[in-house]
Order: sequence, then C-alpha cells, then structure tokens
Amino acid sequence: MSAIISIRNLHKRFGHLEVLKGIDLEIQPGEVMVVIGPSGGGKSTMLRCINHLEKYEKGEIYFKDVLLKEKQININEYRMKMGMVFQQFNLFPHRTVIDNLMLSPLKVKKMNPSDVKEKALSLLKRIGLSEKANAYPINLSGGQQQRVAISRALMMDPELMLFDEPTSALDPELVGEVLEVMKQLAREGMTMIVVTHEMGFAREVGHRMIFIDGGVIVEEATPAEFFKNPKSDRTKEFLRKVL
Amino acid sequence: MSDIIASMPFLLQGAVITLQVTVLAAIFGTIIGTIFGMGRLSKVPFLRIPSSIYIEFVRGTPLLVQIYIIYFGLPSLGIDLPPFTAAVVALSINAGAYTAEIVRAGIQSISRGQTEAARSLGMTVWQTMRYIILPQAFRNILPALGNEFIALTKESSLVSVIGIAELTRQGQYIISRTFKSFEIYGGVAIVYFVITFTMAQIVNWIEKKVTIK
Repeated sequence: MSAIISIRNLHKRFGHLEVLKGIDLEIQPGEVMVVIGPSGGGKSTMLRCINHLEKYEKGEIYFKDVLLKEKQININEYRMKMGMVFQQFNLFPHRTVIDNLMLSPLKVKKMNPSDVKEKALSLLKRIGLSEKANAYPINLSGGQQQRVAISRALMMDPELMLFDEPTSALDPELVGEVLEVMKQLAREGMTMIVVTHEMGFAREVGHRMIFIDGGVIVEEATPAEFFKNPKSDRTKEFLRKVL
Repeated sequence: MSDIIASMPFLLQGAVITLQVTVLAAIFGTIIGTIFGMGRLSKVPFLRIPSSIYIEFVRGTPLLVQIYIIYFGLPSLGIDLPPFTAAVVALSINAGAYTAEIVRAGIQSISRGQTEAARSLGMTVWQTMRYIILPQAFRNILPALGNEFIALTKESSLVSVIGIAELTRQGQYIISRTFKSFEIYGGVAIVYFVITFTMAQIVNWIEKKVTIK
C-alpha cells in the first residue's frame, strides 16, 4: 500500500531559527498518527508545511505520488483533499454555521446547492448541532465551534485530516466533545495526523506516535510501546512531565 | 432669514449637483480604493509599488491642485473632460487614495487564521479575498468609510472652481446678486450640514444592521 503523505528531509527556518531540521515521515491510508512534543519543537510547523500553509526551504512532500511543489501543481486542488482543523477554530464569523459548511463546496467545487445543503445538514446532525445551523459562530461555545470547524473540513470530502492542537484553546470541560468527534472519525477509518497534548486520545485511537523536539523526530512507536517503553531520554523526560 | 428662504430653491438645486458629484465619487472612490488597498498589500511588486505611489502622491498633494490638473492640465495632453466629468474624476481619484488606506487597514484587521482556513479549504487567493476577507473588512471599516464620505461631501465644494453649479457655487452666484454673504453662506452651511448629518445617520443605521448578534 502506498503512503498518502510522504515527507522527505523537510527543512524549515524562520529567519535564523531552524524549526525543522530534516523530517522524514510516511502516513498510510487509514492511519491515525499522533504528533506530540514541546511547544516550539516544530510539530505544528510540520503539519502546516504538509498543506503548504507554510513554505519550506528544503525537502519534498508527496501527496500519494504527486510532489507538492507550488509552481508545478495547483496547490488548491490538493489542499481540498487535506482537511485542516486549527487551534483557534477559524470559523468565518460573518457567515452562519451552515454557510461556513457550504461555502467552499459551493464556490470551490461548484457543487449543486441542494446536495451541499443536504450534506451540511446531515453532518450537523451527526455532531448534534442541527439546531445551530442558522446561528453565527460567535453564539457557539468553543467546543461547538471546533465541531463545526471539523465538519466544515469534512464537507470537502478530504482523504486526510490535519489537526493542529484542536483542543488546546478549549475550556477543559469542552475538550471531551471535540475528542469524541475525532474518535468517531478515526473509527470510521479517516486518515488523521493529530498534533495534540491529549495523551488519552493518543493512547485510545492512535496507531502511531511521533515525538518531535528540536526540529527532528526523536521517537516513533506504537502508543502502547511509546508510553510503556520510551527509548530516548528526551522522550522519557517529556512523558514524566506531562503524564 | 427671508433671503435664505428665498434662495433655498437655488441652493437645493446646487445640493442636488453636490450629491450627484459626491455619490459618484464615493462609488468610484470605493472601487478604486478597494483595488489599490489590496494592491498595496500585494506580494507582487508590480502591483504594490504603483499602488503605493498613487496613494502617497494623492494624499500628499492638495485636492484643489488635483482638480486643476484634471480640468486645466489634461487638455494639453489631448484629454479634454467636460467640467462635471472632470469634477467626478478628480474627486474619485482623491477619495480612492484615502479609501485605499482605509481598506488596507480593514484587510489587515482580519486575523491570519481566516485566510489560512479559507486557503486550507481550497479557496484561491481571490476567492479568499472576495468571500472571507473583504466582507469582514468592510464591516470593520464602515465607520471610517462613513467619515471619508462625509469629508468628500464637504470637499466637493472645491469643484465650484471649475464652474460646477454645485451648492457652494450656487451660493456664490446668489451672493453676487444680493450681497447677503452672511445669510447665504449660512444657508449653504446648513444645507451641507443636513446632508452630512443624514449621511452619518445612514452609516450608523447600516452599522447596526450588519453587526452580528
């Protein structure tokens, strides 16, 4: 089976600061990969490089077998296939919930409005927010906003979902409802890369753990192995602090 | 007082011209301002540099001189505009530069996350601008735009110098026959005030209307 994303020797710097110092990684279809590590270690940057929200100096990223190089391909086509969920939700505040979901399928994919609406309503039903369809994001709790943001990404039928610390901006009691939606997605077989500090989530649904620090992948293992038998000292130290 | 009342029909005729010139300049100014406001933020030097030059030049020179250039200067280049057109062109170019700066600030007031979310959903730069950034930016800059249009209404009095029979010019004309400077200019001022006050109320109303509750 060929990888859905392959990252080869990825380097990224912000000015003098080298944030990624050569990342190599492959994600297989259906895999749930959890990326952990200290802040500033480069995990979010790596995620953002995958859909080209961040430019990088060196290295290659492939989507299936296509090299994602902005000059040679239409990056917008590939971004559609990778749903992205942000820490700050980033819902469009001037649009109602259902418009947030419908906008891109209508304008980018030029899909039939009644089909799009039907799909949006069924997604909202799944996350239990049918009654909020015509509300504006400002009237939703953080957890509700993030669930809508996940649905908005799913509207494009992505082959892969990227989660950039999706629960870090939430009140503790709202984290569960978002993780629940993510777990459900994982169970349905969605390919996911999840940057998170939620160790419980990693243990429960993760297939593979990646620990990134100092711009490199320090450790890679199954969750069971990772938590029970971390190999590097840096991982052990990190786990001691967070667990 | 009776002089003001007697002159009102003439002043109102002038006010209609003032409104025509102002509304047209506001519309064109907003279009020009939106284009150059985006241009100034462009990563492409070919778009950014001309936008900056236009904005800085227009903001750094008097409107009166701009009107003279358009009406008296351009004919020597073979572009001969009738007075009304010249007035609208001059005011539009002027308003466009100020509006461009307002639009630029409006675009910059929208968080980067909005652009990133839109792009991550596959939108192009232009779709992101059109559906996500500009609608939010315009909401934010509405008060500043309102101010700009009010300023424009008042500045439109300058086009009286090229013979446009707008409000100020009508006032001057009546004074040249009646010599009642204080009364007539007072009347002119009152008409301007009624126009600008009404505009401010309309802007307030729109602002309330578009606020998301």
